[in-house]
Amino acid sequence: MSDYIVEMKHITKRFPGIVANDDVSIGIKKGEIFALLGENGAGKSTLMSILSGMYEPDEGEVYIRGEKVQISSPNHAAKLNIGMVHQHFKLVPDYTITENIILGIEPMKRFAGIFPYVDIQSANRKIEELSKSFGLEVDPKKRITDLTVSMQQRVEILKVLYREAEILIFDEPTAVLTPQEIEFLLDIIEGLRQGGKTIILITHKLDEIKKVADRCAVLNKGKLIDVLDVKETSTNYMAQLMVGREVSFESAKTPAQMKDEVLKVENLTVKNEDGFEVVKDVSFSIRGGEIFAIAGVADNGQVEIADAIAGLTKVSSGKILLNEQDITDERIRKRTEAGISYIPEDRQSVGLILDFDVATNLALKQYYKEPFSRNGILNKEEFDQFGNRLIEKYDIRSGQGIQTQVRSMSGGNQQKAIIAREIELQSPLMIFVQPTRGVDIGAIENIHKMMIQERDKGKAILLVSLELDEIMDVADTIGVIYNGRLQKVASSESLTKNEVGEYMMGAKHG
Amino acid sequence: MDTVIIDGLSFALPLFIIAIGGIYSEKSGITNLALEGFQGFGAFVGALSAVLIAHTSGIGVEHLFYVALLFSMIGGMMFSIIHAVLCIKFKADQVISGVVINILALALTTFLTAQINVLVFGQASDRFQLGVSDRFTIEFLANIPVIGAAFTNIYPFEIIIVIIACFAWYLLYKSKFGMRLRAAGENPHSVDAAGVDVSKVRFSAVLISGLLSGLGGMCFAYSISANFSSSIYMGYGFLAIAALIFGNWKILPTLVACLIFGFAKSGGSAIAMVMELPSSFTDLFMTLPYVLTLLLLIFFSKSNRAPRALGEIYDKGKR
Repeated sequence: MSDYIVEMKHITKRFPGIVANDDVSIGIKKGEIFALLGENGAGKSTLMSILSGMYEPDEGEVYIRGEKVQISSPNHAAKLNIGMVHQHFKLVPDYTITENIILGIEPMKRFAGIFPYVDIQSANRKIEELSKSFGLEVDPKKRITDLTVSMQQRVEILKVLYREAEILIFDEPTAVLTPQEIEFLLDIIEGLRQGGKTIILITHKLDEIKKVADRCAVLNKGKLIDVLDVKETSTNYMAQLMVGREVSFESAKTPAQMKDEVLKVENLTVKNEDGFEVVKDVSFSIRGGEIFAIAGVADNGQVEIADAIAGLTKVSSGKILLNEQDITDERIRKRTEAGISYIPEDRQSVGLILDFDVATNLALKQYYKEPFSRNGILNKEEFDQFGNRLIEKYDIRSGQGIQTQVRSMSGGNQQKAIIAREIELQSPLMIFVQPTRGVDIGAIENIHKMMIQERDKGKAILLVSLELDEIMDVADTIGVIYNGRLQKVASSESLTKNEVGEYMMGAKHG
Repeated sequence: MDTVIIDGLSFALPLFIIAIGGIYSEKSGITNLALEGFQGFGAFVGALSAVLIAHTSGIGVEHLFYVALLFSMIGGMMFSIIHAVLCIKFKADQVISGVVINILALALTTFLTAQINVLVFGQASDRFQLGVSDRFTIEFLANIPVIGAAFTNIYPFEIIIVIIACFAWYLLYKSKFGMRLRAAGENPHSVDAAGVDVSKVRFSAVLISGLLSGLGGMCFAYSISANFSSSIYMGYGFLAIAALIFGNWKILPTLVACLIFGFAKSGGSAIAMVMELPSSFTDLFMTLPYVLTLLLLIFFSKSNRAPRALGEIYDKGKR
């Protein structure tokens, strides 16, 4: 009993229309790295939100160090030495690292014995020591705006350590990092454990669990499936438990049958609103039957390249040729008709009209043409037929068929609807920007399959993704972007994941 | 030249204290277009308490300046509760709330002034007569050439404002309250995650803006207008907003902006006086601060940056 530092017994938490946790019981030992594995919506984050005081459970009990507690707020959790490293960082951009860390528990000093003020100096020193002892290597006087994502994450870790947390919860910590940064983070986590901390790791990435975790609880649809000893379990088995069926990790990909060049980008330069060059002199080409993926850390210009090709961003110099036709300054509809399908990064605000029904959304790129409209008058019947056909063909799940408001659909199904619409355009070029962001493993598998199918039909495919695994899985050719420049373009077989990672950080040049 | 400095300062400093109020509110993330209404309502409450006390006790109303000042701060603060409750508790649109409060203040105080004059003092008037507060000169400093004017014929409120402004600076940049307040305007989620109640911080910030605006309004009433009437709503609250935007939401640069406005105004009247123009032209020179506002806007709007979360309704669930 007492060898558990955290015990959660028979936890049930309901939200309107969904049971997020259904009678879940777990026990975590002091000094271990305990992983929580599950797909999106499996209930991992809810469970940990209960532990960190954000939610209260409807049923069940929580024991910390053998004592029954009701954790009422994050402050209360902090007093029990529980700290959460959030997935979405909560930092003030203009503040220094120190100011961010001490926010809420500022150390005070008195000036001339009367006027209290926040004692930044002593906090700076304390944080520097803390950072050194756990190998975090941060300079407390730097401002958040000047830090990389992985540095910002370390600030979040320091925040928790500064509050003297013994139990650290990491919520999907590697989602935004490059392979090298992930490596470093896992080292930090291992170091924290050696420093006597207990770690809870929320993730859906199996190889990370395999690398650092001791034990692992698998959740599926709110229920606890099993608690496994990581060393004695294969990743394949873990994945099966997580998804509830067998998963193939190898995408069924045959070698590419490349045809003629479809897209040619020559010396493309794009400036952002502030006049900075975010894409610098980029040239590449994609042939029919080829998946060309742009790999890179977020905000290095990859999205702007996709937007420039699709016509959402102005090109400041360079040329874009589609089937040898210059489309550099064409309007978006002209480009669509010339043969571009575009699956945008932000499906909710750019890809769909959330308050319209499925049928309308599916017809969005063709509504003005026959047979969808005649002489400017829409033909509702045609919309419905088309919608029904696509729902069937692409297995789009919606509560009320074609009349379903897109807003009420799950992220995975929204994405399916966009992809269906874009595939139906039969464009020779398809652009996918972060197509699998925020959708679960089952849907990811499906999206990859569709991309490869389209490729095999002879289409040219441009994939922009932050998920390196995804790129390694599906791409035929990889272009790595760093700071607006393509560092390296090579076939995917000739590159290892680590090499790509190095190019992504600008550590290596092609 | 001396009058330009003397009048400029006596206009710039009340403007400055209203602008500081605006900085507090906006730095915490609450857009505040209601400064105009706050300063007017604050001045109304201050003036009302001064005339009432003068009426019952027989003390001359021009000697009740400090009492009026105190009540104006309370009045401004009470009135600002409306903005705070609407924007923070009921998550109303902050721009609309601000505009409505300005209209409400003007209508309410005009109505109440006329009614109270009839009911209490038995006279039909749309104003409370206040007079001009005493002035003094710091002799040994006043003899310095040029700058000396800054120490000549000072209203006492100018000293009070400087002291309060120093304290406001210290509170905003050095105290933990200030640190949390500024963080709430940049990323309220970080404040929440640190276990601090964002709503409380913002609520206090809006109340402070009401308090300081009331003070500023009262100073205007006891100096340039010498009474309280609807003419207190001259748009100085909006000028204060312009000043804090030029000042990039920082206290010291905002002081500079206020001084520029102040000297533009007093300089305008001085030029009109020297040129002996007919009074219709004087009005033209009185537009100088506003013309200047438009010009400065062109240069400053690019480089200045508002607090990141300004005007955003804080919703815990959203990320």
